[in-house]
Amino acid sequence: MKRVALSIDELRKAVLRLPEGALTAIRAAALANLDEHGLPTVRHEDWKYTNLDAAIDISNRWLSAGATLASKDSLGESIEAIISSVDANWLVIANGQVDMTYFAETRGIEVVRFSESAAPFVMDRPLADLNAALLHDGLRIRIDAATEKPLGLLVIDESNAGAAVSQASVEIVVGPGCDAEIIEHQSSAGKDDHYGNSVVALQVGQAAMVNYVRIQDRHIGHVQTGRLSVSMGKDSRLKMASYDLGGRLVRNDIDIELGEPGSEITFDGLYLVSDGQHIDNHTRVDHRVGPASSSQEYRGILNGRCRAVWNGKAIVHKGADGTDANQANHNLLLSDNAEIDAKPELEIYADDVKCSHGTTVGQLDESALYYLRTRGLDKRQATQLLTHAFAADLIGRAPVAAAVDAIQSLVEARLADLLQEPAS
Amino acid sequence: MLEINNLKSRIGDTEILRGLSLTINAGEVHAIMGPNGSGKSTLAQVIAGHSDYVVTGGEVNYMGNDLLDLEPEERAREGIFLGFQYPVEIPGVNNAYLLKAAVNAKRKHQGLDEVDAFEFLKCAREKMAALGMDSKFLNRGVNEGFSGGEKKRNEILQMAMLEPRLAILDETDSGLDIDALKAVATGVNNLRAADRAIVLVTHYQRLLDYIEPDFVHVLSEGKIVRSGDKTLALKLEEKGYDWVREAASA
Repeated sequence: MKRVALSIDELRKAVLRLPEGALTAIRAAALANLDEHGLPTVRHEDWKYTNLDAAIDISNRWLSAGATLASKDSLGESIEAIISSVDANWLVIANGQVDMTYFAETRGIEVVRFSESAAPFVMDRPLADLNAALLHDGLRIRIDAATEKPLGLLVIDESNAGAAVSQASVEIVVGPGCDAEIIEHQSSAGKDDHYGNSVVALQVGQAAMVNYVRIQDRHIGHVQTGRLSVSMGKDSRLKMASYDLGGRLVRNDIDIELGEPGSEITFDGLYLVSDGQHIDNHTRVDHRVGPASSSQEYRGILNGRCRAVWNGKAIVHKGADGTDANQANHNLLLSDNAEIDAKPELEIYADDVKCSHGTTVGQLDESALYYLRTRGLDKRQATQLLTHAFAADLIGRAPVAAAVDAIQSLVEARLADLLQEPAS
Repeated sequence: MLEINNLKSRIGDTEILRGLSLTINAGEVHAIMGPNGSGKSTLAQVIAGHSDYVVTGGEVNYMGNDLLDLEPEERAREGIFLGFQYPVEIPGVNNAYLLKAAVNAKRKHQGLDEVDAFEFLKCAREKMAALGMDSKFLNRGVNEGFSGGEKKRNEILQMAMLEPRLAILDETDSGLDIDALKAVATGVNNLRAADRAIVLVTHYQRLLDYIEPDFVHVLSEGKIVRSGDKTLALKLEEKGYDWVREAASA
């Protein structure tokens, strides 16, 4: 098969057309990196199951059509629909542009736009380079005190005038001893193809406690690549839950650095995948010192012709004694055409560690289905009930109370939709 | 109500029921006894509609219709209830939710409106109290982490809420202590009615001390080899199943 390559020449032209400012030098450096290394292909071990052809195709179409940034003005209704469902203090990035109109200045939260002041970026990955090269603006957020409402971060893209591409870049620093609740929602509007690429860096300060929810409900024409890099301070805690409900091609990379002793993280995820979708979750935890614990459970429900990938890597570096690392991945395949590639990876170079992993792939429990039917529920009802039950546990783990109702209704609506497809 | 005529059934390649005939009328309580492997549970599952049990011969008529034509859920809505020997644990499915969904599935089939939520809860709590069940079980996952006795009480609770025409209780007495046995028996006795039939599938006579059957049948090698009144169960207890086998082959 002929591989599609990102048109670097067109990309360079597009980058040069961007307005001069705080980000100019960063863009140039990122472009040089990208020119040298290119985007990852399936020959890279980490990209074995996911090719970026759809993202590259959308990018090339957008570049050859002039690479204009779609206006964010028509997104008002879509934005309001989302933010009215969760009581949070919302920062919005719409079509790659920062929109502060929904944000209320709050003591304890400081927000700086990259277009005003760009600090040095870490560009260690090709997709982060692509992000930096095309960046219009971004957000640097510092949270130093607990706030009444959670911080909401909405990344929303709309494409109505042909294929489009947008970048979102956010840095969040949670200060020492601070409690913070964060909701990241990636969504879409419009009918055309879109490629959204986001980079979020989260720094959790010493003894800070962060509860983080990630929701992704893009529509089927949208491609998303998203990277979340987390670094954990001494004795800090992070509780996170991710919900991937939409998108044609979705690749999430979550990298967590445990570089200080005493940190504790749990991160769970639910992905619902149906006809025409490909959702890939790659997670990596670097245990550099002990004691520290990490625990993740991802669950997937797949129906129709679709594919999901879960790759959970935990590296326990030399000297990271007292590490406790657990990972689990469970999948429910409702169709013969659904495929899951599940891969736990544990690399242990320390002595005193507790590590576990478990992966399951299965169908609905026949004995439970029969039991429900003997109680008068038809096959469809019974299937729905058991599928919901499989997801319910993870809905219950959403660590930000203000988002639970919204997650519940989004997941339920998506599940009902997914179960419409005939199981084969 | 139920007429079984020369029923034959297998699971996999194993023939289990080999020409079983039985008639059950409204208002009657039947006990079906027999040694392990005689086909008691198979009979219960065939009536409930388990797809692993293939019917290879004979017929089953329920309320004037061919029962074997119906899906398990249709049988349930037509008033057949099977109390499982091993009730299935379904984590994540709320017990109250299932009870209500079951009651509503039946009501819908009967052309009735959905049950009122308040009335439903009140009714469930009353029936639970009568069974010695804490109402907190309503909010647990179906049978999730229940003890053996709790699972059986939960089956009886479902039966009480569904008010079946024909209730089949498969080894409901197994694994119960005496208090649980009494509670379950009371639950069953409360449901005895002129328009309802109850079938008790049991290995031991003990349950019949608390629920008095009108008829006792003994199953051996997939057939009913002896039928009688409650004294048959006592005789069986005294003489053991070998007596029946000998009588059957004689």
